[in-house]
Amino acid sequence: MAAAFGAALVAFAWSAPAFAAPPHLDLPANLSAVIDFRIVLTDGERSFTDGGFGKSRFANGGSGLDAHAVPAAAELVWHGPIAWNVSGTVAVAYQDEQDQPVDLIQAFVSWRPVPRGETRFSMRAGLYWPEVSLEHEGAAWQVSDMITPSAINSWIGEEVKVVGLEAMASRPLLGGRVSATLGLFGFNDTAGTLLAFRGWALHDQQTGAFSRQPIPPLGPDMAGAQPQWTTPTLEADHRIGFYGRLEYQMVAPVTLSAFYYDNRGDPAAFTNHLQWGWRTRFLNLGARVDLGAHTRLLAQALTGSTLMGPEDDEDDYWVETHFRSAFLRLTHEVGPLALSGRLDLFDTRQRGEYVHPEDAETGWSLTGAADWHITSQAQLILEWLHIESDRLARLRIGEAARQDQNVVQASMRLSL
Amino acid sequence: MRALLSILVALFSAAPAAAGDLLVQVRTASGAAVPNAVVTLYPGGRPSPLAQERGTYQIAQRDLQFSPFVLVVPVGADVSFPNFDNVRHHVYSFSPVRRFELRLYAREQARNVHFDRPGIVPLGCNIHDSMIAFIDVVDTGFAARTDGAGQARFTAIPGSQVLVRIWHPYLRAPGNQLEMQVAVPDHGTVSQAVPVNLRPPPRLGSAY
Repeated sequence: MAAAFGAALVAFAWSAPAFAAPPHLDLPANLSAVIDFRIVLTDGERSFTDGGFGKSRFANGGSGLDAHAVPAAAELVWHGPIAWNVSGTVAVAYQDEQDQPVDLIQAFVSWRPVPRGETRFSMRAGLYWPEVSLEHEGAAWQVSDMITPSAINSWIGEEVKVVGLEAMASRPLLGGRVSATLGLFGFNDTAGTLLAFRGWALHDQQTGAFSRQPIPPLGPDMAGAQPQWTTPTLEADHRIGFYGRLEYQMVAPVTLSAFYYDNRGDPAAFTNHLQWGWRTRFLNLGARVDLGAHTRLLAQALTGSTLMGPEDDEDDYWVETHFRSAFLRLTHEVGPLALSGRLDLFDTRQRGEYVHPEDAETGWSLTGAADWHITSQAQLILEWLHIESDRLARLRIGEAARQDQNVVQASMRLSL
Repeated sequence: MRALLSILVALFSAAPAAAGDLLVQVRTASGAAVPNAVVTLYPGGRPSPLAQERGTYQIAQRDLQFSPFVLVVPVGADVSFPNFDNVRHHVYSFSPVRRFELRLYAREQARNVHFDRPGIVPLGCNIHDSMIAFIDVVDTGFAARTDGAGQARFTAIPGSQVLVRIWHPYLRAPGNQLEMQVAVPDHGTVSQAVPVNLRPPPRLGSAY
């Protein structure tokens, strides 16, 4: 299997020059597209995408190595002016493994009046990811320099997309620049479901607005209360949530940020499809340090909790999950190559009435990636991801609680 | 009579009794040349008269960049902002020196802004945050931008004591500016090295 992957990789690299000079395709103004061709070599437990507890997108749970090509994924983005101070962004993705292969990823308008002084204001409204991730960039929300985002930002990609309205103000302060954002939102009531029932994961799938995400087999106490899936973009309780963000870019090339989120969900609210109004709150701290022109350090730490189900007389909820994770990532550019290494730590604890400590987990992961910018339109990323985690709930499907997994991926990305 | 007057004015302004040359060399502490610094001279601490002939000045928008990054213009200049890109640009400045806003459609070539007060005018594009440029509106005839070698040359400087100002958008100094007195000889060239310390340019980018 490794040989098959090796052969595929050689073929991939061999075709790089062809990608370097892609057929000239002129997309209409303001339209852009990213097409991702992927080959994967993996071992380890069955993926969460396939009814297992596996923490990566891939792996079928068979013994030994599995090598396969992933159907090409594509994202089409329109980003352009609507009026002089108003622009719009719409992103649609094709991802074969998703419940809705073609789905809406983001759709928002932003209003940025011309600054009249040192303070600059802006607003945006629509379907979007609030600014938590330091790893994603651009309207297509692509991970920079790596394939797989950290555990934190994988979860943001899965469950923290809102239909909201946010206002931002920024101004110079002490030689740097400070910015403050306040957002109000709905349609994010089920955020936290995956962390409670599946735990953390590391993958680059982007949740569509109309897609469901699979949940591994639930414990007997919860099996009747929640289907084996969750809809991340959903309004269940008609309560408005909020988030706030503060960022300070210092004179020295250091940027610090703090983000607090509270969806003000009603844990007892549920829909006809048994999708619940999870009460999810979290705090994310981020730091970016530019160590010279070609080296940067990214770090995030996130801690929070989520509650689900009616509260009983002893102030207990059916589910009370506390979650936290942190990562440190170093990226160094050498010519057209960007080399990155990242360490992730993650855990969850369970204090609810019906979801027990067997659904708690601890784990860590190490990721190394080399991103080769062949041309401005083509890049080849090679990544090795190693994940170790411990979760007793795996015994439900006859797997050992403790699992480790390796995923080697090669991704050829074409930007049009 | 009028012709005679202008000849007299020309004689007095073009032929001072003694005039030396000055070469200003701006470098960082590590010796790297600093281009795009604006050097202005004030002989005897006073501005020298601006040229009567008005030049043509422009800041172009090409490949999502302003060009040049720093432009020096005399008070009273008109600057054009031709857009050679296939996209719109929304050029603005909120500088108290000259506040303006230009909505430039793709490949739009004819729009001028008049600058009638001295000072620094930072420019931005409201659509493309990474576009930055600066106009230095000067009130003295002796003004130049350092070239790729970090040099600015001045000839025929009247007077012996000259106030030299050096401004750069990322200069580590109050107002991004340094001042020094330089003695210029009556004849010949004097070279003045100016060591500076620059801040890293701001990291730009917008979430949306």
